Amino acid sequence: MQSHGEEVTLFLVEDDDIDAMAIERSLRKQKIANPLLRAYDGAQALEMLRDGTVAKPYTILLDIQMPRMNGLEFLTELRKDEALADSVVFILTTSEAEQDIVQSYYHHVAGYFVKNEAGANFCNCICMLDSYWKIVHAPV
Amino acid sequence: MNKAWQNLEHADSNTVFQEPFDAVEQREKLVQGGHLHWVHYLVVGLSLLLTLGAWHYSKQQVLQKVQQQFDREAEQTIELIKERMALYENALWGGVSLIDSNQGEVSYQQWSAYAKSLHIEKTYPGINGIGVISYATPRQLPALLQTIRQSRPGYQIFPEHNKNEFWPIVYIEPEQLNHKAVGLDMAFERNRYAAVIKARDTGTAQLTGPITLVQDAKQTPGFLFYTPFYQQGKKPETVEARRQYIKGATYAPFIMRKLMQGTLAAHKRHVAVHISDNSHELYHDKQTDPKPMFKKQVTVPMYGRQWRFDIRSNLSFRQAVDSQQPNFILAGGLIIDGLLLGLFILLSRANRTALSYADKMTSDLEIKTRNLEKSNRDLEEFSYVASHDLKSPLNAIKQLVGWLEEDCSEFIPDSSRGHLKLLKQRSERMMTLLNDLLAYARIGSLVYEREEINLRELSADIFTFLDAPGEFSCTAPDVKLKIARTPFDFVMRNLISNAIKHHDKGRGKITITYRQKMGFHQIRVQDDGPGIPPALHKKAMEMFQTLKPRDQVEGSGMGLAMVNKFAEHQGGSIIIDSDGGRGTGIILLWPIENTTT
Repeated sequence: MQSHGEEVTLFLVEDDDIDAMAIERSLRKQKIANPLLRAYDGAQALEMLRDGTVAKPYTILLDIQMPRMNGLEFLTELRKDEALADSVVFILTTSEAEQDIVQSYYHHVAGYFVKNEAGANFCNCICMLDSYWKIVHAPV
Repeated sequence: MNKAWQNLEHADSNTVFQEPFDAVEQREKLVQGGHLHWVHYLVVGLSLLLTLGAWHYSKQQVLQKVQQQFDREAEQTIELIKERMALYENALWGGVSLIDSNQGEVSYQQWSAYAKSLHIEKTYPGINGIGVISYATPRQLPALLQTIRQSRPGYQIFPEHNKNEFWPIVYIEPEQLNHKAVGLDMAFERNRYAAVIKARDTGTAQLTGPITLVQDAKQTPGFLFYTPFYQQGKKPETVEARRQYIKGATYAPFIMRKLMQGTLAAHKRHVAVHISDNSHELYHDKQTDPKPMFKKQVTVPMYGRQWRFDIRSNLSFRQAVDSQQPNFILAGGLIIDGLLLGLFILLSRANRTALSYADKMTSDLEIKTRNLEKSNRDLEEFSYVASHDLKSPLNAIKQLVGWLEEDCSEFIPDSSRGHLKLLKQRSERMMTLLNDLLAYARIGSLVYEREEINLRELSADIFTFLDAPGEFSCTAPDVKLKIARTPFDFVMRNLISNAIKHHDKGRGKITITYRQKMGFHQIRVQDDGPGIPPALHKKAMEMFQTLKPRDQVEGSGMGLAMVNKFAEHQGGSIIIDSDGGRGTGIILLWPIENTTT
């Protein structure tokens, strides 16, 4: 998949292995070959972003409920960090709580998905990402 | 409970418990009422002042009364003495008249008779006697003596003196008391002489200054009272003529104490009298009060003398002034003031008690509220955690089952495929249960705005959305309601979906009717399904209760419980109306007024 000539890395921040597997399966199903990187929580994700493990351009798929540093805390740190503040982040979580949604958009996420109906929904989500990368101009 | 949560949800996060303004004001009043204010002190002070004023005034009144009494008594005493003296004067002038009518002569018998007729002892108590004094120049003296000695042989004039005239006492009645005075010459002593001369010169009754009577064994002060008579009963107009025609004087000797006894004995006096003449003491009462409250000094002209009356109150006045009335007034007033103060204190204490009680209640309430808040937060946290932590594994299970189905569909036997299907179904059921449970827990944690809705449109929307089989119909009246849309929508959705879901036939009619009753919207959702037996009505409303096995009719058993909770939270209720025969009617009562704030 090309994003205006660049391979976009999908950076998955997720503590649940099965959810991660589901994402991978969806990618495989949709024949999307973008590189996939994974961090197990917010703290690790920040490290990987800062030490360049995750190269630009990338899109972050972020879970909220995680050990050590949860998604919202991660978002706060991310937006504070000048080098990373322009990251495109999608939330992918089980939480339907109003406050989580409000807080997420307060931190300028690009979208908020609830993974309650697994499988089909993951596919939708991945398809959306694919289209998104094709159409949207992301900061490089 | 729900209401409390709601309040908490919307309470200012900085204040634990926001009291309404009037409560604060009331508390302020109680706080104010819990102390004695200047007003109270003012009232007590004024009343104390009034008491003291009344006490003082009544004391003054008593004092004034007593003072008046004293003045009266003093006056009376003086008047009495004056009156007495006037009486004695009359008696003496009576004697003069007798002598005048006798051409200036009077015999012993005549005088004695006159004196007897006076009943001196009775009529003139205090008088020592009544007598006649004759005037004689040295030339006239022998003739006078001779005349007297005719009826009184051995009559002598005494004492001797060097004056050029004689004023001997000729008669005195009653004689046995006064025999020592017979023959006493007035000219021998200054006082007696001066007064008799003055009587002669003025032609009026005159008193001597204080003397000691010769006939008074006790030698106490006394005086003499003269009334002059002239030759042949003349009343000369000039001093010269009087001196020329003077014949003598009738006189009465007084012993002062006797006079006072006689004058004032009958009259119970509350005053002590001290009488002096030219600083010579004439008389004094026994003083009963060492420090008399009242004193009065009056100088009274008394037949040519100036008698000085020094009158003092004695103990009976002090007793009169010591009247208990002012003290009673003072005591009564003080008691009333005390009671007043006590009342104020009691009131303020009552207010303080009320305040502390109110504060205690408030703090209890605050603690309760805090606990509620905490449990509310815990519950929210729980639901949040539950929603994630319980759903995550469930999601994972569902996904894994899905993957197994996808990846192994060719290899697994049909029975296992059935098991996988069941596994998927049960996971979904659990998901529904979980979602409904969370929804149930969240009811009441929010406040909903009231919006204008149309019952027919709302019902139609829900019915369409539920994707009911084509054989079902739903009718509702065209009414506009102002109602909290979100919960109402939820309730209607559940009721309509229940009617469809629990229908035992492939076709059915749902009829929604509306009426207003006693401040409530009354909405009835009637179906023509299997009905619910009355014995099961209660069970139908409980959480996690289904009336059919879940494998026949898929449901969490939370629907009606949630509907009920929503309705109750809004201040309404739901009633199941079904006899167990055909059809179930669910009656929803929803307050017209917005009861929840």
